[in-house]
Amino acid sequence: MAEVQKDAPIKSVQVEALVVMKIVKHCSTSFPTVATGSIVGMDNNSVIEVTNTFQFPSVDVSSTDDRSDASSLAAAAPRAKANIVYQNEMIRHLKEVNVDANNVGWYTSATMGNFINMSFIENQYHYQKDNEKTVALVHDVSRSSQGALSLRAFKLSPEFMTAYKEAKFSTESLRASKLTYKDIFVELPVNVHNSHLLTSFLHQIPAPKSAEIPMPASLDDIRRDPVQIPAHPGFESLDLSIDPFLEKTCDLLLDSIESHYTDLNNHQYYQRQLTREQFKITQWQAKRKAENAARLAAKQAPLPEDEWQRLFKLPQEPSRLEGMLNARQVDQYARQVDAFTANITAKMFAVRGNLLPE
Amino acid sequence: MAVDQESFVHLARPLAPNVLGFGVSNAPLTVNIQPQAVFSIVDHAVRRDDRDTQATRVIGALVGVRSEDGSEVEVRSTFAIPHTENEDQVEVDVEYQKNMLALTLKASPRETLLGWYTTSHELNSFSALIQNFFASPETGTFPHPAVHLTIGTEAGAPIETKTYISAPVAVSPERAAESCLFIEVPHKLLFTDAERGALGSVAAAADVESRSAPVVSDIENLSQALETVSDLLERVSGFVGDVLDEERDGNHALGQYLMNALSLAPKVSNLAIENDFNNHIQDVLMVSYLANTIRTQIELSQRLATAKLDEGKEAGDKKEGEGAEGGDKKNDGQRGQRGQGGKRGGRGGGAGGRGGREQREPREPRESAE
Repeated sequence: MAEVQKDAPIKSVQVEALVVMKIVKHCSTSFPTVATGSIVGMDNNSVIEVTNTFQFPSVDVSSTDDRSDASSLAAAAPRAKANIVYQNEMIRHLKEVNVDANNVGWYTSATMGNFINMSFIENQYHYQKDNEKTVALVHDVSRSSQGALSLRAFKLSPEFMTAYKEAKFSTESLRASKLTYKDIFVELPVNVHNSHLLTSFLHQIPAPKSAEIPMPASLDDIRRDPVQIPAHPGFESLDLSIDPFLEKTCDLLLDSIESHYTDLNNHQYYQRQLTREQFKITQWQAKRKAENAARLAAKQAPLPEDEWQRLFKLPQEPSRLEGMLNARQVDQYARQVDAFTANITAKMFAVRGNLLPE
Repeated sequence: MAVDQESFVHLARPLAPNVLGFGVSNAPLTVNIQPQAVFSIVDHAVRRDDRDTQATRVIGALVGVRSEDGSEVEVRSTFAIPHTENEDQVEVDVEYQKNMLALTLKASPRETLLGWYTTSHELNSFSALIQNFFASPETGTFPHPAVHLTIGTEAGAPIETKTYISAPVAVSPERAAESCLFIEVPHKLLFTDAERGALGSVAAAADVESRSAPVVSDIENLSQALETVSDLLERVSGFVGDVLDEERDGNHALGQYLMNALSLAPKVSNLAIENDFNNHIQDVLMVSYLANTIRTQIELSQRLATAKLDEGKEAGDKKEGEGAEGGDKKNDGQRGQRGQGGKRGGRGGGAGGRGGREQREPREPRESAE
């Protein structure tokens, strides 16, 4: 596997229109519950071609009707045993009808970019440990509702893979490996691709009009037959109400800070614990030294001085991974806010320019 | 939102066999097709195995939801079924169909089998045979009629979609299995708002020769949309200019429509606009500023958490290094808090955020003292 990986690292992800539509459909119907599914395709000279997809069986939680429960179950779906069986079965069936039946990863839905969590890492690790060439597609339902499709592809960086494999996220090892929160993911550019047949189909909806449009006879004529707006570029992105999105992002940002603080508290607790233990050890050592000195004076054999290792137990350092993920998440939110700001500022100035002519 | 086909007269609807006792309504049937179903059929058509030359078409099953009274069906997804066909016989992999249906329904339990599709418009006796298979009580959609969707995928011809339901008809009982009457029913291509964005980027890919387009960021999307809008405005103003120059005949309806559109511009005083504009933009920029401050703080905290400190290096003793780090961590705590305080203010309003921060500053020594 290692040689293959060296030969052609993945540079981009090419997603078929079919896959885009299926993912969007699945994610938006199950919103706000997280939706997950598997993607199949093949890798072709450092480009992963995603040519088909299927969703994982939805978990029936009608008995409890707890949304967060459903979300967490769905988020864990890609590595659940039953789903691996399902996935293999599905791939076997797809192979029979000439679909490129290699698993190339999985997809998940997200709300305002809040997908960076342990579950995501575990899923991607689950796929990537067997096959280097797997990606996670993230479809952001909330952001897509503004008009522009938000579909991103991620994989774990090789450095992070090694660290995660050994589960080494202590301060020491992070210092040694120089792994920061920025190195967790590698984002890959996503391209949307159509087949020839699909291209010609797309050019037929909405039905092509003849070059010369007859003049309408009355106002009602225009209203009755409104202009068919082409799907691209969508005019939803001209919508001015972006504040709800900003607000939501800020809320999420606050949550992140909250968890950052919890993480810090954990570490402080650990540090205090450690200092206390070490203080005890020093005390014990000093006492033992004094004792030994006394024994030496009394011409007795000295007692061993490294017994403290058995007597005292240093607390386990909490993993730094949570904090790293959180930092990455905050980074993402901040960038998102930046993007929103860029957008809204442009629009605001446009509106002002329109309402206040020079 | 729907892409409608031309208007349709619904003349008759065949009765399902043994309609008595099942209460199947005679209302017209409408078929709504979602784009991913069509995309999936088209994909299947592209991927057909044309090594055996006989197969001119592929078939598959339609899966989706049916309304309560059965008068409306929505095709949500499809799956391909391998089949072989030659002059005198047709073979459909029934086992495959059964397994695949079970797998699909496992993923989306609310959906049911609706019918089948094929990729040519030809309706022959094999079609009837397959149709009867899909409409039969044991393996099909009975008592509801099975929907048959055809998409023409021959090169050179427009890609048309047609939907049919069927009625049993036969000259003799032994030929009933392989004959039926197909009746065309109206259908719509339906897509939701969520899919519009996706269709947009798919359509963007359709407009370029390489048939692929990158997923663009919001700001690029905005600029594209603005460019299109300004092009359209240009066109309208060109038209109006032409009319004014008497190069073209004016049109009352269009004139009226444009007047209506123009009168939608709100009448507010310049001062109010200026004021609102400044307020809003300041709020937005403040949120952005604070978000970036938080990002920097978190980054700093992460750096410091793993930074190798000079004191730690000098004193090789592990304990001292750890101790120094502990102090460090406390600083991080404050930073986190400070960011948080600023953030809360930021939500209340731009000015409040700044005030909150300043007020907080003097309190900090107390916090670190605890």
